[in-house]
Amino acid sequence: MGDMVKIKYVERQRLTNKELILFLDFLKGMRVTIKKLFRKTITTYYPFEKITPPKRFRGTHAHRVKNGNEPPSFKVIEKFMDIKEGESRCVACYMCQQACPVPELFKIEAVQTLDGKKRVVRFDMNLLNCMYCGLCTEACPVDCLIMTDIYETASYHRASCVTHMKDMCERAVDFDRRRYDEPDRIWIDDEERSKLWGQIKWS
Amino acid sequence: MELLGTVVVLTIKSLIFILVMFLGAAYLTLLERKFAGHVQQRPGPLHVGPHGLLQPIADALKVLTKEDLVPDSVDKFLFYLASLMAFVPAIMILAVVPFGDPFTVFGVEIKPYITDLNIGVLLALAFGSISLYGVIFAGWASNSKYPMIGSLRKAAVLIGYEVALGFAMVGPIMMAGSFSLREIVEAQQNIWFIIPNILAFVVIIFCILAETGRTPFDVQEAEAELVGGYITEYTGMKFGLFPLAEWYIATFVLSAITVILFFGGWNPLPLMGWLPIPAIVWFFVKVFLLFMFFLWVHWTLPRYRVDQITELAWKVMLPLALANILVVAIWIMIFG
Repeated sequence: MGDMVKIKYVERQRLTNKELILFLDFLKGMRVTIKKLFRKTITTYYPFEKITPPKRFRGTHAHRVKNGNEPPSFKVIEKFMDIKEGESRCVACYMCQQACPVPELFKIEAVQTLDGKKRVVRFDMNLLNCMYCGLCTEACPVDCLIMTDIYETASYHRASCVTHMKDMCERAVDFDRRRYDEPDRIWIDDEERSKLWGQIKWS
Repeated sequence: MELLGTVVVLTIKSLIFILVMFLGAAYLTLLERKFAGHVQQRPGPLHVGPHGLLQPIADALKVLTKEDLVPDSVDKFLFYLASLMAFVPAIMILAVVPFGDPFTVFGVEIKPYITDLNIGVLLALAFGSISLYGVIFAGWASNSKYPMIGSLRKAAVLIGYEVALGFAMVGPIMMAGSFSLREIVEAQQNIWFIIPNILAFVVIIFCILAETGRTPFDVQEAEAELVGGYITEYTGMKFGLFPLAEWYIATFVLSAITVILFFGGWNPLPLMGWLPIPAIVWFFVKVFLLFMFFLWVHWTLPRYRVDQITELAWKVMLPLALANILVVAIWIMIFG
């Protein structure tokens, strides 16, 4: 047992006499704070001043609609689906629910129409249980379920935290109108990125 | 008739001192919050009034209108007494603190102090110590774990630093030959007492930080370990009085006493005596700078353990204070 766990003993760094007598470590700390005191503040004046998050931000969910930009996987399934232009391109494959760590938060229902096609009638997400991990959006085979940059989700009733298919469609239309063409700013040397969110100095 | 006049004048003067101290303490909270904010690169209170200037008033209104809960199992008498015990003696130190020389306005001589006792330093020390009973009573009366631990810690720290504090004040008193704070200032017209008393100054800084419970020695609150320490069970204005007394009024008054003992009170800064600045302004500038120093220390350093504080007090600060007495004695023998 003793051989299994190796313990490394680390000597604590002793203060030299000079440091002890002149409180040098205190003075070092106080130099840091006085430097910070005269720096510019880095906060935003939140309710009056809002930062737009990056495009890849994992905010409230949305449904992309059928608008001609679908991936090829959607074209394959399309003929079995009863989806009109401008409606959610969800095919009720339940992939998102399979991928979700809290699958109970999805309520997806689909029915068969009279001409034998499949129609999604319900897609509800209880976002109170959502941890915004984004696994559902990665699982979506038709690029339907996405996450937007909306992060102000507080409301007065629990019922209004459940998001439905119709408002998810509107959210995605709005999000794509604003940010569909914007490139992902994931590289630290991107000048636009530094302008938006500041240059991060890695230690 | 003359006695009546003295009583009336003293009452009015005391009221002015207390009211100004209250308002001043309220704005010291704003100062502290702004300082703490900017040290952490955030702006502090910003929304109430221009740049947050009305925040202390909003805070006061909030604290005063809060429900004043008294838990069932507390010792009611001591529980009420504790908040007063912390607050009243802290503000009573003001009685002996002089803010300047007597001056004349429209033929009326105005003395910017309440009394000039010939035992001023001792009285300030005594009131400072009484104010700590508030902390200890609060811990005992709350009948709860965390306040008890907090106040016991404070009691343990108290034993250490009070001795060093008393001995550190001996140096300036020896040089001035008086216990009166006003005479101590007058003795510093040529040279400030900081010159031979630098060791005592270090000890005093340590003691004030320990007495007012500011950060390196804030073991009695220790919000990370003890919830709120001795103020855990308090609400409303009874809660508000503790930080007001300890963090603001006590720190301010003790800064004033330190300025009087070591930095020449209302004497102007060296080489700047020709400036047309009244004595009282010099005094407040110095006190303000010292107060800012305490804030600076508070928002920089992490917390010591109780045993480390007592060790520091007994093994380092007490010998330093005694060594200071020796240094001052030799100084007096050589220079007069």
